[in-house]
Formats: sequence, C-alpha cells, structure tokens
Amino acid sequence: MTQAWVLGQRALREAWRTPEALLPTLFIPLFFLVVNVGQAARIFPSKSTSFLHGQGYGAFQLPSSLLLAASFGSAALFLVEEIEGGYFDKLRATPIPRTAIVLGRLISEGVKGVFMASALVVLGLIFGIRIASGPLGFVLLVGLAALWAVVFSGFMQAIALKTRSAAATNSAGLIFFPLLFLTPNFVPRNLLTRPMEIAATVNPVTYVMEALRSLILEDLVWSKILYGFGVATALGVVMLALNVRLIRHYD
Amino acid sequence: MAKVQSSGATAAVQAEGLVKHYATKKEVIEAVRGVDLRVETGEVFGFLGPNGAGKSTTVRMLTTLLSITSGSAFVAGVDVARDPDEARRRMGVALQEAGLDARQTGRELLVLQGRLFDMSPSDASARADELLALVELEEAADRRIKGYSGGMKRRLDLASALVHEPDVLFLDEPTTGLDPASRLTVWDELRRINTRGTTIFLTTQYLEEADQLCDRIAIIDGGLIVREGTPAQLKAELRERRGLATDPTLDDVFLDATGRTRVAGDVQEVSR
Ligand SMILES: Nc1ncnc2c1ncn2[C@@H]1O[C@H](COP(=O)(O)OP(=O)(O)O)[C@@H](O)[C@H]1O
Ligand SMILES: [Mg+2]
Repeated sequence: MTQAWVLGQRALREAWRTPEALLPTLFIPLFFLVVNVGQAARIFPSKSTSFLHGQGYGAFQLPSSLLLAASFGSAALFLVEEIEGGYFDKLRATPIPRTAIVLGRLISEGVKGVFMASALVVLGLIFGIRIASGPLGFVLLVGLAALWAVVFSGFMQAIALKTRSAAATNSAGLIFFPLLFLTPNFVPRNLLTRPMEIAATVNPVTYVMEALRSLILEDLVWSKILYGFGVATALGVVMLALNVRLIRHYD
Repeated sequence: MAKVQSSGATAAVQAEGLVKHYATKKEVIEAVRGVDLRVETGEVFGFLGPNGAGKSTTVRMLTTLLSITSGSAFVAGVDVARDPDEARRRMGVALQEAGLDARQTGRELLVLQGRLFDMSPSDASARADELLALVELEEAADRRIKGYSGGMKRRLDLASALVHEPDVLFLDEPTTGLDPASRLTVWDELRRINTRGTTIFLTTQYLEEADQLCDRIAIIDGGLIVREGTPAQLKAELRERRGLATDPTLDDVFLDATGRTRVAGDVQEVSR
C-alpha cells in the first residue's frame, strides 16, 4: 500500500502541475450550475415547490454539478500518454503489486475529488445553499462525490489500458452524457415522463444523485445514503477488478 | 571491462528456445522464433539486428514486460516467468523510448523509483543524489524533465535503471537518436557501470557501438540468431570463409549475416 500511495502522490503532483486540465473540472460544473439555476429557478419557486424542501433551486442542482465535476477522468489521458511514452513500462518493470500501479491514479482522483467537491459545496454555502444534514452530511456529501470520481476514472483508466489510445479514451468519456442526463437532474424521479423515469431507474448515477440531494435538502435519510454509497462502492469494486485484470494481462 | 566469470557459475542471462508470437486481428506474427542466449556475469553483451529483427521483443520478454509464448528465460538465476518480481529486483531496464515522466523533476523521478524498490524516503533520496552525480545531472536535478535534452533524458533513464543496484542492466537501443557527443558520454557511462560489476545487455543498430563496447555479440535476423561470438571471432570467421586478405569490419559481418549486400538501395542503414 505504501507504493500505491507513493504513486498517488506522484499523480497528485501531476494534476497540480497541469492546471489547464484541473481548472475546467471546477469551472464547467460551476458554469452549468449558474446557467441551469438562472434558467429554471423561476419555474420552481422555493415557497411553492415541495421537492425543494424550502431551499432554492440551486440546492437541488448542486448534486448534478458535483457529479459533473467528478466525471472528467483526465487522469486516464495521462495514463495513455505514459503508455505511449514508455514510462508505464518502467513502472511495470518494478517489483510492486500490479494493483498498486492502477491504484496510484485512482487514489489521487479520490483526493482531487475531495478538494473539488469541497470547493463546490463551499461556494454553494456562500451563495446560500444549506446542508440540511449538518456537518456529518457535509462529510458524506463530499465523500460520495469523491467516490464517484474514483469510479468514473476507474472506468476511463480501464478503457485507456484496454485501447492504449487517447482518441478511444476520450470517446469513452462521452458516456458521462447519458449517465448524467438520464437522471432526475432537473426534477425528482416521480415527475419525469415515463420513458425517462425508466431510464433513470436503471441508471446507477440516479441513486448517487438522489443520495447527494437528500443530504443537501432533507436530513440524514439513511436509506437513500446507503443506496448511493452502495451503488458507487459496487461499481468501484467492479472497476478496480477490471483494471487489475487488464494490467495483469497487459502485454 | 570488468572480470567476466566463465561458464559454470549462474549466467547473468540465460534463455532457451525463446519464442514470441503476436496475435493480431489478421495474422500471427512470429517475432522471435527460438532464441538461445547465455550472457556471463560481468559481460557487456551486444544484441544486434536490423529493424524488426526481434531485438525489442526479446528484451521485453527477458525483462518481464511481455509474456513468453514458449521457452524459458532466467536473469541472474531467476525464472522471469515464474518469479517476475524477484527477477525485477535483479535487473535494471532502460527501454527504447527513454520512458520518463516529463512532469516530474529528475530528482523526483529517481526518488520515486527508489521508493518502488522498497527504499525508505531518506535512502531513496540519498541514492538519487549519488546517481545524479554519476550521470552528471546535478544541476538539472530539480528542473522538470520536459525541458531536458535527448542526451540528458537518456542519462536520467540510465540512472533510474540503476537505482536498486541491479545485477543485470538491459538497454534497448540506448543511443539511438543521440548526437555523437551524447553518444560518447553514454558509452563512458556504460563502461563505468560495467567496471563496477554490472552485466550489460544492450541492443543496438550501430555496429561501431557494438565494436567499441561489447565483449560478445549476437546478431538476430527474422527472429533467429544468425551469429554469435566476440567481434574478433566473427571477423576472423568471415575473413577465413571469404579468403579475405585483411580483417573485414563488423559492418561486413553484419551484412553477411543478415543476407544484405552493399548494392545501392539494398543496404540496411546500419552504422553512423
Ligand atoms: N505489439 C506488437 N504486435 C504485433 N507485432 C509486433 C508487435 N511488436 C513488434 N511486432 C513485430 O515483431 C517484429 C519484431 O519487432 P521488434 O522486436 O520491435 O524488432 P526490433 O526491436 O529488432 O526492431 C516486427 O516485425 C514487428 O513489426
Ligand atoms: Mg526495437
């Protein structure tokens, strides 16, 4: 595990030294938050919209932005670069567990995810969003968003390991469109049209989004929280297993 | 050159019947078709061959980076397929692309490498200092690798392959793409490393390099070894066979071995 952490620190340095890749992951979600709220806030006044639980529409939209911030997976592109450049082979020639090699960047994505999510939530607090579930809720909120960042970059990293191509990895990243938009991202699930509701119900991101939302709008609603963490953890385990399998059979 | 231990003792590198098939969508490419090798401890061994002959494929199998289709390979007595991690501790690897992480500094790269070989932070940092001095990169140590010249990158790559004091150092075309001055510096480096007792296995397309550095060479063509011996032996053999008045050059040996002739347009770019 020491080795995974050493590689994680390296990946964090890498992220820190490429602000051009880091800054969009913060500003694009903020942009969507401001635009979406600006366009729809008058349709959903907080007084007469029960699903807002007394807060503004921005509070309802914040989870979408958190998930968007967690769905860039730019680390996978660094991995492709590293495969093409040959440094990946240097790492493979060291006697460390193959798991440590794939975990390095995932750890750093998790740490990055914590900072990104904290920044977005704190900005939200400044603009009047309240975390109804309190300090513990804040921790769970940031933790779940960061966990999703790990899951998504795990997916991207698997594609990178499989295809070793920047173009293919970039294309695979586009899956975040259906994942993020076939969700109850504008209104709760029960207000969606029937086809959308079905799509959202089978989309795992829905449960992560609903967990995040319940933490902001309601309280510690454990059923929703556990659902969100459960789905994200299960997918995380699948992605990790996939990554380890791919690097073990890497030729 | 360092003292070469003669046969009997464990060989630095030993391969028997090494085969690699690459399965592509269309066909199976037989890149290496049954290679036997024995490199003694302390030797500088040159692995020569034209482009596509199977040099890199062989090196990648020996260094645990590529699965072996059939045959066996031992490095410092360790089976690379059975016990890859132990084999990795015994060998240093610097591949064709000088694979480095451009966003880190030279020092960070070396310290990281040390940490991955189980060194404590302070040991890794001390070892990095030593190696930076060895390859004369002290001044550039805290700059990002992105800004290094080709020669500096090669030397850093070399240093990173030496972090854990390997018994055997594998180098795949260590001087390809370097200017003549940097090439000489790398040669000096390699001689120094060898003098300290490290066995060196290097591939090259430059016959002069092999002639200058190597105790023994093997020439591979089309996935098979076609010549093996000391440069002097190979030259003498060709001289005798052709009934030449003077010793041929290693270029001549190479052209003879790989079935290439000096006819214009058909000559492999092999030297200088
Ligand atoms: N990953 C690969 N997939 C398919 N064929 C490959 C692969 N790597 C190398 N080859 C083929 O194997 C042969 C030997 O290649 P290589 O070992 O790189 O030669 P060298 O290093 O001597 O130039 C060549 O024909 C090359 O095209
Ligand atoms: Mg090659």
